[in-house]
Amino acid sequence: MAQADKLTFCFLDQYAPKRFQEARCELLELRQEREKFYDTIPTVMVMQESEKPRDAFVLNRGAYDNLGEKVTPGVPAILPPLRKDWQNNRLGLARWLVDPSNPLTARVTVNRFWQMLFGVGLVKTVEDFGFQGERPVHPGLLDWLATEFMQKGWDVKGIVKTMVMSAAYRQSSKVTSELLEKDPENRLLARGPRFRLPAEVIRDQALAVAGLLVEQIGGPSVKPYQPPGLWEEVSFGDTYQPDEGESLYRRSLYTYWKRTVAPPSMITFDATDRENCTVRLTRTNTPLQALNLMNDTTYVESSRVLGQRVMKEGGPTPEERIVYAFRLATARPPRPREGKLLLDAWQRFLGRYKTDPNGALQLVSVGKFPHDETLDPVELASYTSLANLILNLDETITKE
Amino acid sequence: MDPFQQSSLLMTRRHFFGRNAAGIGTAALAFLLGKDLLADETTAQHPAIKPAEGGLPGLPHFAPKAKRVIWLFQSGGPSQMELFDYKPRLAELRGTDLPDSIRKGQRLTGMTASQDRFPVVSSIYKFAQHGRSGAWVSELMPYTAKVVDELCFIKSMHTEAINHDPAITFFQTGAQIAGRPSIGAWLAYGLGSENKDLPAFVVMITQGGGDQPLYDRLWGSGFLPSKYQGVKFRSVGDPVLYLSNPPGFDSSLRRQYLDTLGQLDHMKLQEFGDPEIATRIAQYEMAFRMQSSVPELTDLSKEPEHVFKLYGEDAKKPGTFVANCLLARRLAERGVRFIQLFHRGWDQHGKLPRDTALIQDLKALGMLDDTLVVWGGEFGRTVYCQGRLTEDDYGRDHHPRCFTMWMAGGGIKPGIIHGETDDYSYNVTKDPVHVHDLHATILHCLGIDHTRLTFKYQGRHFRLTDVSGNVVNKILG
Repeated sequence: MAQADKLTFCFLDQYAPKRFQEARCELLELRQEREKFYDTIPTVMVMQESEKPRDAFVLNRGAYDNLGEKVTPGVPAILPPLRKDWQNNRLGLARWLVDPSNPLTARVTVNRFWQMLFGVGLVKTVEDFGFQGERPVHPGLLDWLATEFMQKGWDVKGIVKTMVMSAAYRQSSKVTSELLEKDPENRLLARGPRFRLPAEVIRDQALAVAGLLVEQIGGPSVKPYQPPGLWEEVSFGDTYQPDEGESLYRRSLYTYWKRTVAPPSMITFDATDRENCTVRLTRTNTPLQALNLMNDTTYVESSRVLGQRVMKEGGPTPEERIVYAFRLATARPPRPREGKLLLDAWQRFLGRYKTDPNGALQLVSVGKFPHDETLDPVELASYTSLANLILNLDETITKE
Repeated sequence: MDPFQQSSLLMTRRHFFGRNAAGIGTAALAFLLGKDLLADETTAQHPAIKPAEGGLPGLPHFAPKAKRVIWLFQSGGPSQMELFDYKPRLAELRGTDLPDSIRKGQRLTGMTASQDRFPVVSSIYKFAQHGRSGAWVSELMPYTAKVVDELCFIKSMHTEAINHDPAITFFQTGAQIAGRPSIGAWLAYGLGSENKDLPAFVVMITQGGGDQPLYDRLWGSGFLPSKYQGVKFRSVGDPVLYLSNPPGFDSSLRRQYLDTLGQLDHMKLQEFGDPEIATRIAQYEMAFRMQSSVPELTDLSKEPEHVFKLYGEDAKKPGTFVANCLLARRLAERGVRFIQLFHRGWDQHGKLPRDTALIQDLKALGMLDDTLVVWGGEFGRTVYCQGRLTEDDYGRDHHPRCFTMWMAGGGIKPGIIHGETDDYSYNVTKDPVHVHDLHATILHCLGIDHTRLTFKYQGRHFRLTDVSGNVVNKILG
């Protein structure tokens, strides 16, 4: 503020007639109110073509000051051209992308849904439908799905439903060694898909099974548990402070992502690092994943809350509780031999914690979710250990 | 065709047209089994090559001189003129303007581009020649001065980036723009691990921070599968994330837990036949082994006293640069392929780390011959002063056109000085070494032809050296 203005306002505030002072106060209040109102209106970004588009150039070797050939907007020459009555701008491009005579967009899109459900796309190179991409393994199916998708008004839920209700999807994912040798990646779909869940789903599932998951939609990003010091050791001094309460149990879709120090439990399970656009899924199987699922606070706490849940809801006997926990995690009851193995393990855990009540108390105190004090910590620790084991089963973290 | 398929086909053909009829059967088998047999064949050709866990078939391409690399990354851009690139003429030029004939219209950083003058400034540190090689080293690096005859100084390094983030990303991944795999990830992918219980690529960061941040992508796997990313060994908390069992759950309980888990997973495997289940059982067992092997590895208490004499007392403090150097040696002993230390905040006035103790230590253990040690930062410093030049103070801006690094051990000629710069330490005048050339040379030492370690992504065969890189043959031993 200029000095003269400051003086003027100072004068008005202190020496002007009361009427002026009151009017000024009122004005300030009303302005604030107006600002508050503006803040309630959501901001929506809109694109507007500039009247005179800026010149654009190829930048040689990517250097911003090394201009090459001048370029103009257009669609790739190998694909159908823009229609004459469309403008050569973003709107024209949008129309061209979803034009019924252009099957490429729909093919690419349904192929990604297929990858999501079957683990591998009908075209394995989901990011590349060009000359260097793979040819579709079932071209007729890809085209049928693409056409169906367009004809039903690009209805995502509809096309996903079509896929999951197909015989190909619903068949068993058991495999014989002969079949495995002939078709290791199951491209020919002689069996159902079987693959490890994505990073986000593994966490969400553990929370859901424990009954912790908060299914609220939208809102600002939340900060779940993370080992201390990760931000501090590489950044300028940003510190990571996990949230409290419900924010700890939101879906992984809503968790905070610092790109330069990505959340380790997500990266370990092959979530993309967000450094560039990645559409092809990779899945690795590493000891770090095992350590993560066994020892991360998120999973130890989920195990304990699942333990609480089965003690309260699962029935009076250990056998019933074990069946309940197993069903929650795998959607099937354990076979007799599985049930026996789990019961034996539980008895060993219980025996051990009876001799180590301190250890039991330590284990059930992991995580911020309050542990149910009406439950015996020794017994709860044994169910916590068992629940953790169940959450670590290959079947639990695998879609089959 | 995918290059790896291609290479396995080539191998198969070689078998097929081989010496005897047995070749045909072996060929068919090799094709079915993929890499293992092929690795054996490579071994037969080069006795020095041992097959490693999970490497690519056909790699290494030829007998390697180095089995592993320890890279002491000096993040921040050490000033070559204060350390190794001795320029006596600068004393008389002090305060004069940098001639246009030297700057040649170079684009500068935003920090100095608007300066109206670019006064030349000489180093205030004393230099002396050392060793049989007569390498010039400043008084700031007394420990380095002791080992110059083991080192190969490259005074003619140059890079393309002028700011920290793109420059360090370029050094680590061969591209300034984020998203490519780091060099360690490439090596883990290509060569696999020599130790079943430890990752192939380990990263350690000096604690205490610095002026510049680091980023996960510097040791990330980019478009390679995530298992090839560098595993951080931390000095705070668990050395490897999530390594410790939760409180109240000890190792004997974990053993019982894993026995049951393994039995249940095994039943699933019997029923479903998915080989991923077998892998998962094995990974849980490896996790268990790591729970004891990693703490054993990071426990320096059993190192003899003479080792701490060599590295200095700081080596007893976890997270110091020298403690990490000592840990690097222990990792190297256990066959970790690529060990990278990040040391930040290049503060030349602080206590001097005895990082070169690592050279003496490796040499004493007979490991220097097959361990390649690399020292250097992402760029150098300008001869002209950044900010005001006063009697006793000066600053230097980022300088990509020349800087000094050193390499030692595994396949590199010891006691030599490669490359020259002009009187201003501004331009390379002889034997320039680009970052891509350095990468190509490191890969060469490890038995890899850098043009043949590729990965197809988004329709293109990517490699660490992009479309460039020449092995610097003059420095190879």
